[in-house]
Amino acid sequence: MRIIMISEMFNIEFFHPSAYYIIGGLLIPLLKGRIKQGFMLLLTLLAFFAVVNMPLGVYGVYEFLNWELTFGHVDKLSKVFAYIFTIMGVIGIIYSIHVKNDGEHLAAFYYIGGSLGVIFAGDFLTLFLFWEIMAFSSVFLVWYRKIPSSVDSGFRYLLWHVVGGLILFSGIMIQYSVSGDLSIQYLPFHGWYPTDLQSVATFLILIGFIVNAAVPPLGAWLPDAYSAATVTGAVFMSAFTTKTAVYALIRVCSGSEILIVLGVVMAIYGVVYAVLENDVRRLLAYHIISQVGYMVTGVGLGTQMAINGVVAHAFCHILYKSLLFMGTGSVLYATGTAKLSELGGLYKTMPRTMIYTIIGGLAISAFPLFSGFVSKSMTVAALGEEHYTWAFMGLMLASAGTFLHTGLKVPYFIWFGRDRGIKAKEPPWNMELAMIIGSLFCIGLGIFYKPLYALLPYTVHFEPYTAYHTWETLQILLFTQLGFFLLLKKLWCENTISMDTDWFPRKGAKVFMWFINKPLASLEINIIGEVYEFIVQKPILRMARWFKWVDTFIVDRTFSILANLTLLWSRKLQAIQSGQIQHYAMIMVAGVLTLILIGIILP
Amino acid sequence: MNLIKIIDKLRTKTVKKFAYGLLVLLILVDFIIPRPEIHFFGDKIPGFWSLFGFISCALIIVVSKWLGQHWLMRDEDYYDK
Repeated sequence: MRIIMISEMFNIEFFHPSAYYIIGGLLIPLLKGRIKQGFMLLLTLLAFFAVVNMPLGVYGVYEFLNWELTFGHVDKLSKVFAYIFTIMGVIGIIYSIHVKNDGEHLAAFYYIGGSLGVIFAGDFLTLFLFWEIMAFSSVFLVWYRKIPSSVDSGFRYLLWHVVGGLILFSGIMIQYSVSGDLSIQYLPFHGWYPTDLQSVATFLILIGFIVNAAVPPLGAWLPDAYSAATVTGAVFMSAFTTKTAVYALIRVCSGSEILIVLGVVMAIYGVVYAVLENDVRRLLAYHIISQVGYMVTGVGLGTQMAINGVVAHAFCHILYKSLLFMGTGSVLYATGTAKLSELGGLYKTMPRTMIYTIIGGLAISAFPLFSGFVSKSMTVAALGEEHYTWAFMGLMLASAGTFLHTGLKVPYFIWFGRDRGIKAKEPPWNMELAMIIGSLFCIGLGIFYKPLYALLPYTVHFEPYTAYHTWETLQILLFTQLGFFLLLKKLWCENTISMDTDWFPRKGAKVFMWFINKPLASLEINIIGEVYEFIVQKPILRMARWFKWVDTFIVDRTFSILANLTLLWSRKLQAIQSGQIQHYAMIMVAGVLTLILIGIILP
Repeated sequence: MNLIKIIDKLRTKTVKKFAYGLLVLLILVDFIIPRPEIHFFGDKIPGFWSLFGFISCALIIVVSKWLGQHWLMRDEDYYDK
């Protein structure tokens, strides 16, 4: 059955799905109750079907000043990302449909609209425009939590993204000055540092992208903001920002070797921090960094198989990560806390939420028959095929860590562990429905993976369920479980936070303010003030005194002399003012005669 | 509720023993599994990935905790001080 779309009614081939989110979203505050909820769901579904019906090609090209802006660059790569973004839009809106705050809905809609705009952008200027829409709308998902710490986190989040955006923009400008072309091109970065102007441009663009991909040391904003966001906001945020960056990296920077190293470091770094985290959403946020590390590694490798793996992994990741954030968000919603040190024993009150979360945990851990298995293994196998043994082993290590935390630690300490007798109940029906849909995707994609493989940008020659590979994965995961239970005592969480690279801006800002208030202020008063008085103030006073003397004795006196002279002259002239007309006529004739005489004599 | 009873039933010693049995089985089967693609030495050794999984898990916990206690972990109000 064909679904009739607005685009078909108006007889245009391409209808930008962002329009549903960005323009359609504006109507949300005008509606109320069930109608509003239905309308929001309708918009997300329309956007999804707009992607389904979208033909490949280039659409929406506009002239702007001297540039050509392309809003609809559709190929297999952008289309598969559009699929998962619009699916996530549907799931996320179902999860958050009970939220009363229209602002939060608008923020989510603009955020999703922005990410769709990025993946269909055909030139860097359009990409940058939507890139910034994402940053400035998603920050409201943090602020609407309305607690002091989320306000602070939101500002830090915004600062990171503004700086990242500016770096990206400067890269784009240099790229434009070098090539005179703004269209999005394939610009891989080779080596470790830029050597000429072109590579400076590429390098800056790469940095701009990896700030959003949360690559350390530029990724500390992610756990900071995602743990501070609203329950529903974090679900959206877990899906879009980093994956949009992965898309941009594939499009522009695939094959940049530096990304292999960064990606492996990132995968392990996220896992290490996850051990230390007490806040469960911070823990999951660090696992986003770890999982995006797999993708960044694959982008760095850049072979067809690796890129297929990255795209498939981004697709599955959005589904299982949002499921995990939905599950733990439900716990936060029901209990008011997300700290592992305060949770425990919830299986008696929230068993269904537990099952959904464990499904998400098994999917992210790449358990056979779950979605992570069919996607993660493709990237890792691509590394094996290219004989990057160290990177291969690093990612294998990280996958043990993934199961350790998300599959074991999170469920154990929330639903079992120490029973703290918390009174809680399962979340509202819409949140549960969203989790059921997410769970079905996580299992469904693990079993029926062919349709996903068909969407990938290149033809897939990879079979995940070989006996050896399945067995290899099962061994790693189940022996990780053994290690978990043997070392359980070490894993109890303490009420602490861990320093990340945001220590530098955060403590650095304190040092900066101290420097301003203490040494710099006293320097200003004691030294610069004195010097100023001696060098500037005193000479100026002296000069002013001299000017005053000049004013009174020369300027004023000149004027009074002139005035006196004028008076004297006037008195002399008074003599000829007799008041008799014949005298005036005589003077006039005399004057005319004088003029004539002058006229005759002079030439 | 039924679901809670099922979970309670799974939390017994018998299930634990069954799980240990499964681990032994994993290693045993690894001796006879076909190995079509060998990328490096580990792919040839039976039970390599079991050992790898266990050691990775232990390493991650021990190293991270050490890093945390000696360097990274701070009080929750650390940044407000």
